[in-house]
Amino acid sequence: MTKSKLQVKEFNCELGEEIVRDATAEEIAQIELDAANAEARRAEAEAKEISRQAILDRLGLTADELKTILG
Amino acid sequence: MATTTNYGWTTPDDTALVKDGASAIRTLGSSVDTTTKNLNPETTLGDIAYRSSTANVNTRLGLGTAGQVLQVNSGANAPEWATPSSGSMTSLASGTLSGASVTISAISGSYIDLLLVITNRIHATANQSAAIRLNGDSTTNYTTSVAYGNDSAAGITTPDATFIRTGGNAQTTGTSYSIEEIKLYNYANTSIRKICQINAYTSATSATIRNSIGFYKSDLAITSITILAESGNLTSGNYILYGVK
Repeated sequence: MTKSKLQVKEFNCELGEEIVRDATAEEIAQIELDAANAEARRAEAEAKEISRQAILDRLGLTADELKTILG
Repeated sequence: MATTTNYGWTTPDDTALVKDGASAIRTLGSSVDTTTKNLNPETTLGDIAYRSSTANVNTRLGLGTAGQVLQVNSGANAPEWATPSSGSMTSLASGTLSGASVTISAISGSYIDLLLVITNRIHATANQSAAIRLNGDSTTNYTTSVAYGNDSAAGITTPDATFIRTGGNAQTTGTSYSIEEIKLYNYANTSIRKICQINAYTSATSATIRNSIGFYKSDLAITSITILAESGNLTSGNYILYGVK
């Protein structure tokens, strides 16, 4: 499968010019790192939510009831 | 004696004698010289000239100082250079969002603050936030404290430290509306850390409001801002960067 080229846009205020160009190898590496970090954060949040729900289930409480207890 | 149509320079009549030619040319040349000087009173690099109350006599206006703008004087009868009054905003850059990122570079240091407004941000991947990086720095030099509220929850988060998160999740179609106002304070200062205040609203699946403070651990003047998606491409949307006096 061909991967479409990643592109970035630049606006130079001094020249008042905008260009669109292919991302450099360094930029692509950063974009991939950002995506991996975002995915890791999402997975961590999901795991936290599952763990939270498991505790509530063990205690037999709903999320709203916990909110009430915590004020 | 005959005269020219526009400037009234004296020229010899058809019946004038040839012996008077030298004197006539000298008179004409002198008139041309005087008029040309009157129309071009500039003396120094950057001077400009404007018409005075006397016909064919222009007035010299010397170059103003850095950051000054040309305006009409209080008598409304001549131009003058003046320092822009405090509070004015100047559009420095504007355009549409697309691709992996949009970088606004070569930002002038002549303003006090910067205001970046991002509207109607749409992403290629669902549920992505927007973020900014400063001076191309992608290290862990950032802290964002985000207070948010949406249809079902409210809370405080501190997202990834390699950027400042500016807005909440946006959709992948043009049906949602979003606006982010990012005010970057004292961006040109070279002896203090940089902070920005962000007000954001996204009408995505779960409409979200965000009020954030972004911190950038650097004393360098900010000369470029990169707008990016937390992950994936930006599909559409608009941005305007203002310099604020």
